Amino acid sequence: MVSFDPTADFFQIFALDRGYALDRDALERRYLELASAVHPDRFVGAPAGERRLAMERSSALNEAYRALRDPVRRAEYLVKLGGVDLDSSDPETGAPRPTQAFLIEMIELREQLEEARGDDDAVDELRDAIETRADGALDDAIAALGRGETPAAARALVVHRYLRRFLEEVDGDD
Amino acid sequence: MAYSDKVIDHYEQPRNVGSLDKNDDTVGTGIVGAPACGDVMKLQIKVEDGVIKDAKFKTYGCGSAIASSSLVTEWVKGMNLEDAEKIQNSQIAEELSLPPVKIHCSVLAEDAIKAAIKDYRKKHGGGDEA
Ligand code: FES
Repeated sequence: MVSFDPTADFFQIFALDRGYALDRDALERRYLELASAVHPDRFVGAPAGERRLAMERSSALNEAYRALRDPVRRAEYLVKLGGVDLDSSDPETGAPRPTQAFLIEMIELREQLEEARGDDDAVDELRDAIETRADGALDDAIAALGRGETPAAARALVVHRYLRRFLEEVDGDD
Repeated sequence: MAYSDKVIDHYEQPRNVGSLDKNDDTVGTGIVGAPACGDVMKLQIKVEDGVIKDAKFKTYGCGSAIASSSLVTEWVKGMNLEDAEKIQNSQIAEELSLPPVKIHCSVLAEDAIKAAIKDYRKKHGGGDEA
């Protein structure tokens, strides 16, 4: 039986080195091995407790796999391992607050978007510009992670989240 | 996500959406954001003789954040600054019956009114208290 420790961090689960750069093939291979080892189908006839355990392991495994495979989630997860949880608003360990100037800009972007509505070229231009910035923010985060600078990576990822949120609005109907 | 009737009411008919002139001396502006989701909120107050005469907001975020800011603008009109400053997110969350995962949306509205008051005071030499 392949060993699977659900309390290990996501990189340990897949026996990968912790870091942004990822051996994708190894991840895929390891995932398939583990997925078949913990697959609930293997436990159909097993006692209820074991079946539940298999179920939990299987979903923990899928969660770990999805988090590592996604470039943004992988970066966010590394920041979390570094002690900053971007989903929390705790002033010590939660997402760092962006600058006031940045927030003002986020409001102004919405106003620009409202004005641009109806003019497809103008909307496209705005989207392109912000997509470029969002990609840049992710690159900054990756670079900071490479230097082991969790706080800088966290700040860049927060910027990335705000920009992503704006892009969702560009393409949503609100 | 099941929203309460009050959230839906404020969401569908938000009160006081809009902007005040941020350069006007009698206007205080608060701009805040929720990093976890990337939502942003602008809340402005117009003050005369220490009393909030008008309040406007623009919220780019979820329904609960829109409802929270709409509710706060309704509440603060006619309040003096000291009372408006005491508004707690828990009161907002209770009034709107927000579920625990949406508490941060009401926090955003509390932060916004506090930031607007602070901005107003700053314009009037009130210094920068925490
Ligand atoms: S989900 Fe972000 S403010 Fe409500």
